[in-house]
Amino acid sequence: MATYDYVEKAIKITRREFLGVVGVGAAILWTGAYAATDLVQDRTKYIKLRAAGLYRDDAKAAARQSHNNAAVGEMYKKFAGKPLSPLAEELFHTRYVDRSKLGGMRS
Amino acid sequence: MQGLRPQELAEIIAIDRKKCKGCDACKAFCPTDAVTGKYGAVHRVDGERCLFCGQCLVNCPFGAPQDTVDIVDKVIARLKDGRTTVVAAIAPAVRVAVGEEFGLEPGALVTGQLLGALQTAGFKILDTNFAADLCIMEEGSELITKIRHYALGEAAGHAPGPLPQFTSCCPAWVRYAELYCPQLLPHMSSAKSPLMMAGALAKTYGATEVWRTNPENVFVVGVMPCTAKKFEASRPEFASAAAYWHKRGSAGSYPDVDVVLTTRDLARLLKKLNINLTAAAEFSDADNPLARYSGAGTIFGNTGGVMEAALRTAHFVITGQELAALELNPVRGLKGVKAAGVTLRDAKTGREITVKVAVVHGIKENLGPIVDEVVAGRSPYHFIEVMNCPGGCVNGGGQPINPMGTSWLDKYKAILPWS
Ligand code: SF4
Ligand code: SF4
Ligand code: SF4
Repeated sequence: MATYDYVEKAIKITRREFLGVVGVGAAILWTGAYAATDLVQDRTKYIKLRAAGLYRDDAKAAARQSHNNAAVGEMYKKFAGKPLSPLAEELFHTRYVDRSKLGGMRS
Repeated sequence: MQGLRPQELAEIIAIDRKKCKGCDACKAFCPTDAVTGKYGAVHRVDGERCLFCGQCLVNCPFGAPQDTVDIVDKVIARLKDGRTTVVAAIAPAVRVAVGEEFGLEPGALVTGQLLGALQTAGFKILDTNFAADLCIMEEGSELITKIRHYALGEAAGHAPGPLPQFTSCCPAWVRYAELYCPQLLPHMSSAKSPLMMAGALAKTYGATEVWRTNPENVFVVGVMPCTAKKFEASRPEFASAAAYWHKRGSAGSYPDVDVVLTTRDLARLLKKLNINLTAAAEFSDADNPLARYSGAGTIFGNTGGVMEAALRTAHFVITGQELAALELNPVRGLKGVKAAGVTLRDAKTGREITVKVAVVHGIKENLGPIVDEVVAGRSPYHFIEVMNCPGGCVNGGGQPINPMGTSWLDKYKAILPWS
């Protein structure tokens, strides 16, 4: 199974390409090692920091399971009945569209 | 246009010709090869193939792809008109990212200040995390019905949809399936995404029980880490509240979710209103039940979070007992495909079942083999979570960019002689 690693998808811009993109002056400062990889690693860091923030929010929550959210229970009691009730089906469920069959005007 | 219905928003993501350098970087992130253009030439987005996920936007080093749907001023006008109950439905991943737009550390959890700032701006709150809990009740019950029917041999009124069941809360994934693998649609959970449930609930229960106002005066604003949510809100079937009221004798036609702001849009809105998130008073609306959420609801923003939340509840419903250890580490982290099995003893029949689950994030890199197994009828799983964006919604296309993506250029500019 594929291992997800953001670095694998690093934007690989070679020195020559970089020259094309930004110009000669900047490219002089572009050392092979410095690079997009570095910045993509930064991004992975962001993902991890944000994810950790949500796990902290979970850890400190008074109730940690959806069925223990009393406000949801109250909503079912006063309004929707129970999960998958006819009203729940009407308001909380949907259908999908086979878009490969939607008429197109692709020119 | 092919792949879109007339009412739906089109071309949400477009590349600014003046900024695009043709560097091809975005192509490495696009899940559907929707970006076209030769290396070195200006690129463009093919709106028929595009999922509107915004991954090209947050990863372009030159800030060329744009989110073309700007409704910040429209929302401000509604906040100020004095007649409208403007409800903000805030996604989990916003609370750990919006702080970055106000100079806070990435990952800073600012729920209190965020809700406080929204309140100052005039919003009422329906936390999408509440709707995520609701989503688990609906989607989890659907899954449990299928497991009881297919794996535990319980008779169901009518045969439920096939296993494995796929999660349906990511609109880019839903559009992907609808466009490229419609044979999977019967496997999709019928549950709406938390935001769409939030909209339908705000204009029914919220209007009558919480804000005590006419549903037509409720204007629901999704606050999302996601550009694809702008598309989702425009899907014509998401007008369930209006249909509900129609049956009860009131006319009126309106969508469940009126507009969607991304995390970036929200930061712009607050700045326009001179509200500094970091100085905002903490939220004070303790009697609003729609602002309450569980830990399971908040982790929806992470890859694996929906699965973890669903298993906490499935465990309780099937065995009659709470999971002893709530942290399901096999579904956490950034591995491309995460699989796990949880053995449950059914309290009703005494039979044991191992519920097998898989979690996929980053459609581009990781979805293929999982889908092929399902299509070939040999998928070992009962439940599969799919999120389009690598890492899940915390890394969504509507999240703050700096100092990621675009600014990687800024970062190197700092060492250039002329800067
Ligand atoms: S990454 Fe940005 S600059 Fe490069 S081709 Fe794509 S849109 Fe153009
Ligand atoms: S929004 Fe997503 S699907 Fe559309 S072009 Fe960008 S990366 Fe591709
Ligand atoms: S993973 Fe989350 S942010 Fe990304 S497209 Fe799906 S719902 Fe939107």
